[in-house]
Amino acid sequence: MAGCTLTGALSVSSFIKNAVTVIHAPFGCAHQVFSMLHAMINDSELTLAPQIIVSNLSDRDVIFGGEECLAKALDKAALKNPDLIILVTSCVPETIGDDCQAVVNEHPARQKIIYIPTSGFLGGCAKDGENACLIGLAKLAPHALPAEKTVALVGEKNLETEVEENYAEVKRLLDRLGVTVTTRFCRNSSVDDLKKISSVSCFILRDERCAAAGKFLSEKFDRPVVSEFPRGLAGCIDFLKSVGSACGISQNLIDEAVFDEEKYQALALAKFEKLRDKKIYLGAEPFDGTFEIAREAIKKLGMEESMDGAEIKLPFYLPVGVSGTVKMLNLWKRAIVYG
Amino acid sequence: MRQIALYGKGGIGKSTTSANLSAAFSKKGLDVMQIGCDPKHDSTRMLMHGRWIPTVLDQMYERLEIIDTDIIFKGFGNVRCVEAGGPEPGIGCAGRGIIATFQLLEKMNALYGDVVIYDVLGDVVCGGFAMPMRDGYAQEIYLVTSGELMSLYAANNICKAIARLGERSTSKCRLGGVICNSKNMDNEAELVNEFATRIGSKMVSFIPRSKTVREAEVNQMTVIEHAPESEQAKVYEKCAETILGNSNLIIPTPLKLEELENLARKYL
Repeated sequence: MAGCTLTGALSVSSFIKNAVTVIHAPFGCAHQVFSMLHAMINDSELTLAPQIIVSNLSDRDVIFGGEECLAKALDKAALKNPDLIILVTSCVPETIGDDCQAVVNEHPARQKIIYIPTSGFLGGCAKDGENACLIGLAKLAPHALPAEKTVALVGEKNLETEVEENYAEVKRLLDRLGVTVTTRFCRNSSVDDLKKISSVSCFILRDERCAAAGKFLSEKFDRPVVSEFPRGLAGCIDFLKSVGSACGISQNLIDEAVFDEEKYQALALAKFEKLRDKKIYLGAEPFDGTFEIAREAIKKLGMEESMDGAEIKLPFYLPVGVSGTVKMLNLWKRAIVYG
Repeated sequence: MRQIALYGKGGIGKSTTSANLSAAFSKKGLDVMQIGCDPKHDSTRMLMHGRWIPTVLDQMYERLEIIDTDIIFKGFGNVRCVEAGGPEPGIGCAGRGIIATFQLLEKMNALYGDVVIYDVLGDVVCGGFAMPMRDGYAQEIYLVTSGELMSLYAANNICKAIARLGERSTSKCRLGGVICNSKNMDNEAELVNEFATRIGSKMVSFIPRSKTVREAEVNQMTVIEHAPESEQAKVYEKCAETILGNSNLIIPTPLKLEELENLARKYL
C-alpha cells in the first residue's frame, strides 16, 4: 500500500482491539487518508470497526495553536475507556509547532497514550508510517525472557490481501520445526497481545517494508530477525533454515524439516504435470521478485519461457511459500491447459 | 490610495513611527488607516489613547458575522485603526493569522482611504509576514533602522524579501526608503545614509532620539497629539511630507554580510 505517512500509520493503528486512534488533523486530511483504508475494509471480511477520533483542526487552531483542540480530542478518546490511545498527526500540527507530546504528558490518560508523529511533509511515505506505528507499539512491551520455540510475526496488516492464507503457509512451515506463533504484530491483536512481543525467541518480518521496525525490535530485545515471509519454493527451504537457526532448533530437526518440505513441494508440483513442456510468456512483472518465483516454477516444471508462449497473468502480490506458488500455477493451468 | 508598510527589527520603533506618521497624515486632512500586523497588537495604542482594541483574529472566530465596527476603530485624527492580533508567543502560526486578516479585510472591502499604513512585526520571518508586500497591498516599503549592526542586518534581510518579491511580474512592492530611528550613536546618520545609498535607495528621514516620545507614550498619545509644537512632532510631519512626495520606488540590492559588517566598522 502506498500513500502518506499518516495512511501507513492508520493501516496499523486502526485495527488494534480496544484501541482508539486520535488523528490530530483537519477533517479533510483525516477523511482523505482514511478513505483508502475504508475502500479496502469494504473489500475485506473485517468485522472490527476502527475507532477513530479526529481533532478537526480549523483555521483558528492553526493561527492560535491546536493544542487545546488536541486535548479535547484526547478527552473524547479517553471517555471510550480504551486500553490504548494512539495519537497520530497530519502535516498541519507539525508545521505550526503544536507540542503534541507535551499535551499527552499533561493529559489525565497519559499512561495509555502513545504519540506517533506522522507528518507526510517530512518526507516519509506509508511504509514509514507503518514502521513508526509498529515501533511506537513495540515500546509498550516490557523486557521479558524469550520463550523457547516461539516467534512473533511482525508487519502483517489487517487489510492485506490473502493475509490468512499467507499466515497458514508460514504456520505450516513453522509446525515442521515445532515453532509456535505467539504474537501477530499487529494482525487482530489486542494491546495485551502486543505487549507479549518481548517474550518470543525470534521476530519474523512480513517483508522488507517493516525492516525498520525489525531493526528496532532486534536492538531493543536483542533477538534475531528473519527478514521476510518465504518467497516461492526455494524460499520455504531458506525460511526453515533461517527460523530454525534463529530459534536454536537442532540441525537434525532442521534437516528433517527441509527433507519433508522438499517431498511436500514435489507432491504439490506433481499436480501440474500438464504444464510440462508448455511455452509461456510472463509479460510485465507486477511486483518486484515475482519473476524470480515464476521462473523457479517454470524450471521445476520443465516449461519454456518464450515470447511466442501463452501470455499468463502473474499474481499482483508476491506469492508466499508453496501455497502462493500453487495458486499461481492454478491460474496458469486454467489459462494454458483449459484455455 | 497610498499603501505603505514599515518593516524593521523588533523594538526599533516601528509602531511609534507608524502611529506618528498616521497622525501626521491625518493632520494634513488625509483619510488614514493603520493596520498593526503583529500578534502583540500594540501598534495603534497611542492613536487609541491607550486602548487595546479587539483584534481581527479574535473577532473573526468569536462572531458568526463580522462588520466593520467590530474590527475598525477610529482613533486620533479619525485614523481608522485595525489590529490583526494573533497567537500567544510560542504557539500557533502568527503568519497564517496575518494572511487570514488580509483575506477578511479584502472580503469586507475595508482597505480604502488616502493612506493605509501597515506596521509589520520585526522581520519577514515567514511567508505570512511577507503578506503585506504581496498581492498588491503595500506598494511602498520603508525600512526602520538605527545604526546598530543587528538593526541594519534586519533591514538588509527585508531588502532580500523585497528583491525576491519584486522580481515577480505581478509584484507592485518596492522599497521607498530608509527611516533612521536614532539610538544616539556616533556617525549614525552618515552610516544609515550610506547603507540606504548602497542598497540603491535613500534615507528619507532621520528621527532623533527624544524625551518627547517617551512623554507622549506615558500619556498614551502620539507625539503629534501630545506635543504638536515640539521639534519631534515637526520631524514626524516632515517625514510624512517626504513620504507623500516620494516617487522614487526601487527594487533594492541587498548587501552581502561582509559588506554590511565593513560598513558598520567604517563608522565606528
